[in-house]
Amino acid sequence: MEKSKWPPGDLVIWIFIMAELLVFGVFFSAYAFTRANHVELFNTYQLTLDRNAALINTLALITSSYFVVRAVAAIRNDNSQRCFHWLLAALFMGVVFLVVKGAEYQHHFAHGVNLSTNTFYMFYLSLTFFHFLHVILGMVILIAVALKAKAGGYSASEYTGVETGASYWHMVDLVWMVLFPLVYVMR
Amino acid sequence: MKYESQKVAKLYFIAAIGLFVGQILFGLIMGAQYVIGDFMFPEIPFNVARMVHTNLLIVWLLFGFMGAAYYLVPEEAETELFAPWLANLMFWIFLVAGAATILGYLLVPYATLAELTMNDMLPTMGREFLEQPTITKIGIVIVALSFLFNIGMTILKGRKTVVNLVLLMGLTGLAVFFLFAFYNPTNLVMDKYYWWWVVHLWVEGVWELILGAILAFILIKTTGVDREVIEKWLYIIIAMTLITGIIGTGHHYYWIGAPEFWQWWGSIFSAMEPIPFFMMTVYAFNMVNKRRRNHPNKAAVLWALGTAVMAFLGAGVWGFLHTLAPVNYYTHGTQITAAHGHMAFYGAYVMIVLAMISYAMPLMRGREACNSARSQSMEMWSFWLMTISMVFITLFLTGAGILQVYLQRFSDNPMDFMVVQDKIALFYWLREIAGLIFLVGLVLYIASFFVGKSEPEATVELAK
Amino acid sequence: MTDKNVFIRPCTWIYLLLMALTFVTWFIGTMQFSGLQISLMVLGFALLKGQLIGDYFMGLKQVSGFWRWAITIWLLLVGSLITFAFNLTA
Ligand code: HEM
Ligand code: HEM
Ligand SMILES: [Fe+2]
Repeated sequence: MEKSKWPPGDLVIWIFIMAELLVFGVFFSAYAFTRANHVELFNTYQLTLDRNAALINTLALITSSYFVVRAVAAIRNDNSQRCFHWLLAALFMGVVFLVVKGAEYQHHFAHGVNLSTNTFYMFYLSLTFFHFLHVILGMVILIAVALKAKAGGYSASEYTGVETGASYWHMVDLVWMVLFPLVYVMR
Repeated sequence: MKYESQKVAKLYFIAAIGLFVGQILFGLIMGAQYVIGDFMFPEIPFNVARMVHTNLLIVWLLFGFMGAAYYLVPEEAETELFAPWLANLMFWIFLVAGAATILGYLLVPYATLAELTMNDMLPTMGREFLEQPTITKIGIVIVALSFLFNIGMTILKGRKTVVNLVLLMGLTGLAVFFLFAFYNPTNLVMDKYYWWWVVHLWVEGVWELILGAILAFILIKTTGVDREVIEKWLYIIIAMTLITGIIGTGHHYYWIGAPEFWQWWGSIFSAMEPIPFFMMTVYAFNMVNKRRRNHPNKAAVLWALGTAVMAFLGAGVWGFLHTLAPVNYYTHGTQITAAHGHMAFYGAYVMIVLAMISYAMPLMRGREACNSARSQSMEMWSFWLMTISMVFITLFLTGAGILQVYLQRFSDNPMDFMVVQDKIALFYWLREIAGLIFLVGLVLYIASFFVGKSEPEATVELAK
Repeated sequence: MTDKNVFIRPCTWIYLLLMALTFVTWFIGTMQFSGLQISLMVLGFALLKGQLIGDYFMGLKQVSGFWRWAITIWLLLVGSLITFAFNLTA
């Protein structure tokens, strides 16, 4: 296959993605360096997190990403309806993520945990919530793409919009791939 | 100019420039008072001059934004302004209220002004930038609402473009956040907390949308680049602005008694605030490089590029300089802050208003595309004089700030505030000189409206 | 259907690999294994997963020039900073 000079989708989304990755990168590093000063605290409170929920969520995001890949493949074959259905499936996995994450928050809040409880929880809540907002934003984008696909707005010759939405969604997935081990597992 | 009603912008622009002159004069008075303590005392005490300087700044920028909107919205919407008479009426109300307020500051003691305007009934006075008597604030809200109504209706009945929608969002945000000027809790922490919702969420939030929209309009007009391309940039710039700027408010919550997590949130998110400013610079130059035509109004293009660069320097670079909590711990409220405040306000908001005036004024005064070559060349001189002297004001204040931080807060034997001020007086003298050159630039700017009036318009070749 | 072969099939394999790596990470977490080596191994998996998502899902494998490596650069930067920080207390 001929290599392209530009990534799939609109270049502007890639600039946005890089900016977002920068913010997350800074946040992750801040977590790691702060942890170095409070290892005991971080190790203690990390154990109060629900790794099973995080597993489900990781699988949900990966699966969702894969479905989006299938949606892009479908539109490349000029199949708008199939593209739409794969996007719906991807969105469903996004909902799974939100519900599971919401239940986790529910659990912590019920125990009176908040941003001022301690430094670990401050990071845990901030990082995951910032990511949570990105899942929502990503879903909004996917919904817009799905609706346009359903209306027949894309075709095998013009599907930049699908790739643009897909790229953003993969970024949301990508960030979680680092967040999950960093916050839930590494000790 | 395509629509007769766009002309209401002219009044707004003239008032803006007039008040701009007043602002600079009071800046110079204060600059002198920094080094000659009793200069003009007791007629104009420092605190009064400061209030006049900053309030005039805000008011003339508001005039500028409104003028820009009245010019730009009908053209984008491809329809006449909904109610030109309302725009004219509001102009006079705003001007009279503004002038009366400034006179109030100058003629009676602030406490008396508070009494006269019955501040006790709904106390809102006494906070930096929001010193206006409560009735003036109410006046501002009324003017803002009629203005929003007017341009909102225009947009509704006309073509809906991204530029118009972003502008409307920004202007609505401006009005909404101003409402926090009426909220004045007795708890000092809460007071400061919400005060920043006006000040910070203005300049690092909704005003950036206004800046982005006006810049986009000027670029579309002068470069002929496809609207779609510019709109896409506009989208991510405002997305990035809002993501970083809203939580970035935290960089003002480090030491006021707000919860500690703000030191993290404020540091991380505000450290990203330069990104949208940087994108704006990249995109402005990109669009000009990709231009489909050479617009003969070189001065307007210069202002547009200038604002993209100077906003990034003033807000992005000088903002970043002191935005991380461990740094701000030392620099909070020093001359570093003033250095940043000056360059950011000038680079982002003064320059964009001047860019719009530069683009629109010739058209409203009956020119086809631009002023004569002589007028433009004078305007470009004024651009360089004002911009370079602002760079120097910033550098001198930064120098003063670094010394101040070191001598007063960092060294092993910290000195008293006033002792340090004496030691850095040289920088204040230099600042005052740079300020005088700024004034020269401003005078040239105004003169450029009057020279070469009878000469023909510059053409692309002539303007080169 | 060339697309099926050159596009979907590799992505399906990558998908399965990502799932497997996730289970390994989860297992380590559930067992509460700790220590620098383990942590860095888990981090390594994460970076690998990120690279795979970038290469295959985001399609950067078909790109040349800067964008080919944009995600990789990010992963390496973040990865080294985290590694450095974890080394501080090892
Ligand atoms: C055009 C945009 C901006 C304008 C007009 C502006 C203006 C100002 C002004 C006037 C102040 C002083 C407020 C006061 O205490 O009275 C200030 C403070 C501050 N600004 Fe900005 N600013 C802008 C953007 C930024 C950005 C992007 C950053 C960060 C990257 C930033 C960081 C700060 C910080 C940290 C302070 C507090 C300084 C202190 O602690 O004393 N600003 N800004
Ligand atoms: C367009 C140009 C100007 C803009 C946008 C501007 C803006 C501002 C702003 C935002 C503040 C409040 C700063 C803060 O709270 O930290 C301020 C204060 C001040 N400005 Fe300006 N200014 C301008 C020109 C000048 C000039 C030319 C001078 C004098 C040479 C000057 C002298 C001062 C002084 C002395 C203060 C008071 C600082 C303090 O409180 O210690 N300004 N100005
Ligand atoms: Fe701020």
